[in-house]
Amino acid sequence: MKLICTLIIVIILFSSGRVFAQTKVSLNYKNARFEQVLTDIEKQTVYRFIYRSGGLPSQPVNIHVRNEEALPVLRNILKGTSYAYYMVSSTLIAISSAGDSTRKVQLQGIITDENNEPLQGASINIKNTGKGIESDARGRFSITCSPDEVIRISSIGFVPQEITVNSTNADINIQLQPEIKGLDEVIVTALNIKKADRKVGYSISTISGGEFTKARESNMAMSLEGRIAGLNVSGVNGGPASSARLLLRGATSMNAGSPLIVLNGIPIDNSQRGVATEYGGADYGDGLANINPDDIDAITVLKGSAASALYGARAANGVILITTKTGKKNVNALVEYNVNLSYDHAINSTDFQYEYGQGSQNMRPQTVAGAIASGLLSWGERLDGAQTIQFDRNYYPYSAVKNNIEMFYRNAPALTNTISISGGNNKTTFRASASNVYDESIVPNNYMDRKTFNLNTSYNINNHLELNFNGNYIYEKAENRSYLSDGPMNVNYGISFLATSARQSSLKPGYDPGTGDESQWNSNVYISNPYFVVNKQVNNSSRSRFITSTVLKYKFSDNVYLQGRLGYDISTDGLLNVLPTGTAFTANQQGGLNALSKAQTSELNSDLLFSARKSLLQKLILDFSAGGNFRKRQYNSSSTSGNQFIIPYLYTPSNLVSTESTYSVSEIINQSAYYSADFDFNHLVNLTATGRYDVFSTLPANNRGIFVPGISGSFLFSDLIHLPALSSGKFRASYAKTSGEPVQPYTTQLYFTSNNTVNGVPLGSFSAELPNYNLKPFTLTEFETGLNLNFFKDRLVFDITYFNRITHNEITQAQQSIATGFTSAYVNVGKTKNTGVEFLLSGIPVQTKNFAWKADINFSQIHNILLSIDGSSQYLLTGRYRPLNANTALVAGKSITQIMAYDYKKDASGNIVIGSDGVPERGDLKAMGGTLPTHYGGITNTFRYKRFDLSFLIDYKFGNKVLSGTEDYSYLYGLNKATLPGRETGIVAKGVNESGQPNTVSVPAYNYYPALATNISALSVLDGGFIKFRQLRLGYTFSPLFMPRIFQSVAVDIVGRNLFTILKFTKNIDPESEFSPDLTYAGIEGESLPATRTLGLNINLKFK
Amino acid sequence: MIFCILSCSKSQLDKANTDPTKANGADFDPNGLLASAQINYANTGYYQLVYHSTMMQVLASTYYYYNNGDKYINVANFTDYQGAIFTQSYGETSAIRQMQTLCRQRDSTRYNNLIGIGDIMFVLIMQRITDMYGDCPYSQADMAQQGVKYPAYDRQQDIYNRMLIDLDYAVTRLDPSQPKPSADLFYNGDIIKWKKLAYSLMLRIAMRLTKVDPATAQIWAEKAAAGGTFAGISDNAIVQTDASNSKSQNAISVALRTLTDYEQVRWSKTLIDFLRKTHDPRLSVIGEIPSSGLKNNGNESLSGNPDSSLQRGMPNGYDLLGGATDISKSPGYPGGTGTGADLAPLGKYSRPRTSIYLKLGGPIFILTYAETELLLAEAAVRGWNAGGSAQEHYVNGVTGALQSLNQQDSQTFISQNDINNYLNANPLDMSSQNNALQMINTQYWVATGTNFNFIENWFNWRRSGYPLLTPVIYPGNVTNGTIPRRMIYLSTEILTNPDNYKAAVARLPGGDALTSRVWWDIDK
Repeated sequence: MKLICTLIIVIILFSSGRVFAQTKVSLNYKNARFEQVLTDIEKQTVYRFIYRSGGLPSQPVNIHVRNEEALPVLRNILKGTSYAYYMVSSTLIAISSAGDSTRKVQLQGIITDENNEPLQGASINIKNTGKGIESDARGRFSITCSPDEVIRISSIGFVPQEITVNSTNADINIQLQPEIKGLDEVIVTALNIKKADRKVGYSISTISGGEFTKARESNMAMSLEGRIAGLNVSGVNGGPASSARLLLRGATSMNAGSPLIVLNGIPIDNSQRGVATEYGGADYGDGLANINPDDIDAITVLKGSAASALYGARAANGVILITTKTGKKNVNALVEYNVNLSYDHAINSTDFQYEYGQGSQNMRPQTVAGAIASGLLSWGERLDGAQTIQFDRNYYPYSAVKNNIEMFYRNAPALTNTISISGGNNKTTFRASASNVYDESIVPNNYMDRKTFNLNTSYNINNHLELNFNGNYIYEKAENRSYLSDGPMNVNYGISFLATSARQSSLKPGYDPGTGDESQWNSNVYISNPYFVVNKQVNNSSRSRFITSTVLKYKFSDNVYLQGRLGYDISTDGLLNVLPTGTAFTANQQGGLNALSKAQTSELNSDLLFSARKSLLQKLILDFSAGGNFRKRQYNSSSTSGNQFIIPYLYTPSNLVSTESTYSVSEIINQSAYYSADFDFNHLVNLTATGRYDVFSTLPANNRGIFVPGISGSFLFSDLIHLPALSSGKFRASYAKTSGEPVQPYTTQLYFTSNNTVNGVPLGSFSAELPNYNLKPFTLTEFETGLNLNFFKDRLVFDITYFNRITHNEITQAQQSIATGFTSAYVNVGKTKNTGVEFLLSGIPVQTKNFAWKADINFSQIHNILLSIDGSSQYLLTGRYRPLNANTALVAGKSITQIMAYDYKKDASGNIVIGSDGVPERGDLKAMGGTLPTHYGGITNTFRYKRFDLSFLIDYKFGNKVLSGTEDYSYLYGLNKATLPGRETGIVAKGVNESGQPNTVSVPAYNYYPALATNISALSVLDGGFIKFRQLRLGYTFSPLFMPRIFQSVAVDIVGRNLFTILKFTKNIDPESEFSPDLTYAGIEGESLPATRTLGLNINLKFK
Repeated sequence: MIFCILSCSKSQLDKANTDPTKANGADFDPNGLLASAQINYANTGYYQLVYHSTMMQVLASTYYYYNNGDKYINVANFTDYQGAIFTQSYGETSAIRQMQTLCRQRDSTRYNNLIGIGDIMFVLIMQRITDMYGDCPYSQADMAQQGVKYPAYDRQQDIYNRMLIDLDYAVTRLDPSQPKPSADLFYNGDIIKWKKLAYSLMLRIAMRLTKVDPATAQIWAEKAAAGGTFAGISDNAIVQTDASNSKSQNAISVALRTLTDYEQVRWSKTLIDFLRKTHDPRLSVIGEIPSSGLKNNGNESLSGNPDSSLQRGMPNGYDLLGGATDISKSPGYPGGTGTGADLAPLGKYSRPRTSIYLKLGGPIFILTYAETELLLAEAAVRGWNAGGSAQEHYVNGVTGALQSLNQQDSQTFISQNDINNYLNANPLDMSSQNNALQMINTQYWVATGTNFNFIENWFNWRRSGYPLLTPVIYPGNVTNGTIPRRMIYLSTEILTNPDNYKAAVARLPGGDALTSRVWWDIDK
């Protein structure tokens, strides 16, 4: 392969060069002060000096050298003085008087914060000895140590410092700097290449791991909500570890999905394992949900395509880089134990009518059959408390029952225990952790149990060669993940719409104790009895997953290295999904097997990366990386299903009257080569050029490869214009192109199968998806620019980004008329434009010794438009909601995706047209608004008072519409308050009939409102905007003096999540409620689990 | 990186992008697609139950889902049910066209019969679509691979002309001396029977035009009669379903075995009363009274009592809601069976016999000798050359219908003696053309109804106007109290084929509604 050859040549070119770091000096001094010479060396080289005030030789210096190594020069000028130099680190040099290095030193000093206020309680530790003390109330400390020992000074919220003891620094003042993201901070970028923030020409956000552990979500993705500018997170209300939809910078394309998830440099699988549709089903979670938050050190989000250009197609929706915790070199083993206990509590978001009770045709149930027929109907009489027959054959007062949700769902505990041990010597580091999550759902029969094991090690084989290994093993099992959306086996449907006077307890136990058959309680057998489901359901899923990454890095010198990486992510999913014996809608109530399946997904990534740094001119440094990647994704699954269990409750395939089996396989291969050249001019201007060539196996041979370039630049203008308040200022801009392939393989030819028989005669079939022989990669181009300003020594940070991205030739599986012979076609057509602004303001308004207040505000505004689908189409159908009278669609000229619903029909003068049946007629199917928010963001405030810290997060989304199944059904079932007018008198709808005369037809309410909601689905289109009080956390960190022999630190946090909704526009639902993470179903609501409020406690113990 | 270097060749990437679990066109036997289209065409399942069975008052139900057809109100998945035949049928025609494409790619001569049978199947399926909805894609149907993304909706009149011509061409192409199809669920490859099916279908298509264009109807009906329609019940086009395979079980049986359906679907009073009035021997074989009590009513292993004297049909248009339309308020309500919690309110009404109609591997009737002979009887009544007298064809038709119950299940044997007695007691009334047509088409209604072919039952009622059915008046109905005359187009067509859909709807008097009439269904 050409790439390999090119790469080898480049390696040779670079490695044959010299060492590139600035270590040489040219000096010309006569009778100079020592300090003057050192300052000059600092200017010319990477070296920095520390010395005690007045602690320098007093002899004048005479020197004349040209372009020589600094260290011999230094040794030379110190010769004959009583001083010597010590290398504190590779660039930090201490100068002190020599000769007394063996005696003990009494080290003392004062520790202050950046305002020179003394810091109490800072830890002073002598490394590798376990000895340590704390600073007193005046920030003072005193400790005995030997020269050359390293002292580590640390305090929470500050950047730790290390100093090497020598005889001259017996009395020191140490100023700790607060932890705030300065521009010199090193951040991780694409391919795990580390870069100083100032050199980055595009927008990146980083969140530290602590954010995920204290306030936990069973899918850690949910913890990102409201925290990162540009990132829109929405989750499925499907129980523990349900899927999340992450959209960076809006829907970049017609089938935009989650960003690429990269774990320690290696892309991992984040596919969904089964989602609900309008016809029901459970959510089996996604790949990201498997990751244990306790192992996460930091999460970095690469938003734009310049940031992600090096990952190619899969990064078209951005990249989320997860870095796991590692051990540190030369430290004692640290044992850490974390326990987290939280409780989920169901929230009732409805505001239904409780004036009229169960019944139909304005009548309460008279018989058991009538009670069954009206179990879901609140079209009865005015509630009067009189004893009335119920479907369980008992009599109850005919009065409002408002607590069915509270009574049916349980307070569900989630308990997480994590233990880890980390450490290292001078050659190796390690961190190992084990974690168990037991997470109950609010649905009584549903829980998830996950065990994760993580090992992260590094080993310096010799001075050049370093090996890193990271392994994650995950075993997860879940029982009875709740069905969502449609009625069959979905507990939520029945509980949501139970008639206003019916008690959920009347549904118990859900089956006939004699026969085991499901008890009838409503007119529709496909709306399951919730207690039958709770007591009989079998829907067990399991996953075992092994993710490893191995990195071998060879350093030719400090500036040149070659790295090979191998990542392998393999998971096996098992599922036993049964319609239990007794299920009313199964033939003969014998139940059925939905699936007994095994699936295996693997993702292999191997890459080779060469990286070098070279000074081209005195002030121009080149960082160059080039590499290649090979990716192979494989999936196979086999599944058996069938009807009617012969022996009751024996759920095996061989016990079925009829069976059917399926087997499927898919494989995707990508080969890629890429480079990145980074030019740094005088630390002032940075330019990065990237390029990537991809070959996609999923595309036809003649259209398989594509090259995509990118360029980004940053300009640190604060180094030119010095403003007193401005500590740093950076302007950045980038332009990049990304390419992509179809999501599915095998779309370029038509396949035939014979997967069924009728009495031995084979049934042939072929896919209803029309293949495309001429697919080509799609491309995405993005322009981004931004400004980053840090004021007042980084206490105020301001960052703004503008982006504009256009996707061309999108590959989508477009639905088409079945009359064409195919239900959909793979086409290469669309064009989407996204523009937006991301804004971040972060500041520390107050910072004193005892009290600090830090605030972070982020918001994003996205403007998304589907420019064209193809030459002729105006619409592409996407998802539907269960009532089936409205859907979502891609609409040319509008944002992705639009809700399409039927509005009222109106005559020329704007009157509503009423049909001869007295019900408003259905008008045109119209686009009613986008399903994705156009404005979203969050505000985090953190307060620290002594050892307490308190933080809260408020987040919001606006500009999106929701297509609500609940709203439609609330009309159908007589629950909506809007169905109250005319209950006893009937309704004469305001409007005109077909001939233009005022309508006079009176319709009973129980006929009018269901027909109205059926005709006018616009009634179910709601404003999805909200402001939520997302999270409150109160923490206490114990004094380091608390049981110092046992603990290094002890921290306790109390956390509340989703505490309350500050603003919403939906009357009967939580505006965030969704049943599928697919973009297709964005904004579609209906009968998922209620929203939950979580209260939890987190205790973190670090042992000595 | 070794992986990369080894696998970079083009052919390996081609291989990676080839689905190993499926065959390409070159390896695949096109015959399998015929069987596929046949079983899918046959297995309409729930869709015809919730609408056509009860609309035609062959069955009746108090169960909510059936309110669509029993009471003409929109409930549950009505949008799906209405559009189901559109979705399902174009899937079938797509299989047929794909089959023909593969045949032509391989060997047009060797697959000559399969190609011809494909044309017959195409017409069979298309007639159901157009009779269901009206104008629909025909000339541009299933041409996605030719680049047609928005197929035009042909006018029904044009579709009828095309169907007759296409059928005429197809039948001449069939040649018993050439290779037979190997996966034929109708006739196991018997070309002679396929010819008879083609002419029988031609007759049915022709007769559908009696209201709107009798002249054309006559030409093609006579051509069909001369060509040779079915000669006996052994020519009946039947698909035997497969109990052991969940995808090819009889979907009607599966649906009716759902608890609520099983408890609440009964033979209609209209049908049972007619059978009783005419002393029809079918009364003693098709129905049974469930064992007493609700629990027994729901027990599918307990057979009921088929005694003809006990059989009682349930009136359409009632529910179990306890109000004015509760079944207990129906005139002549016989009361339930069982008491207290075990009360079965519908316990005294006849249900379709479980052992006959609810077999998971039971037969599905596509087109029968009885139907064909009754159509020929009508043609003769109209004075057309039907190759025999009206009375002869009528006798054949009724005989065929009674005999075909034996194909439904061997238990339902009706002796020739009983058949003769019935025919002697109910000779064709030739006193007026209307009387004759009423009698013939009422027999057509009984024949297709007792064969559970409810869709054809409804089509012929819309054409002939017989039997005279009294519509149900139920509050909230969406048809102004009339029996629906067409189904509403597939709901997604408005987005996936908007211009052509809108043009077709604009041509429909009354718009895309259940009450609108298709071209051949003129109001007279």
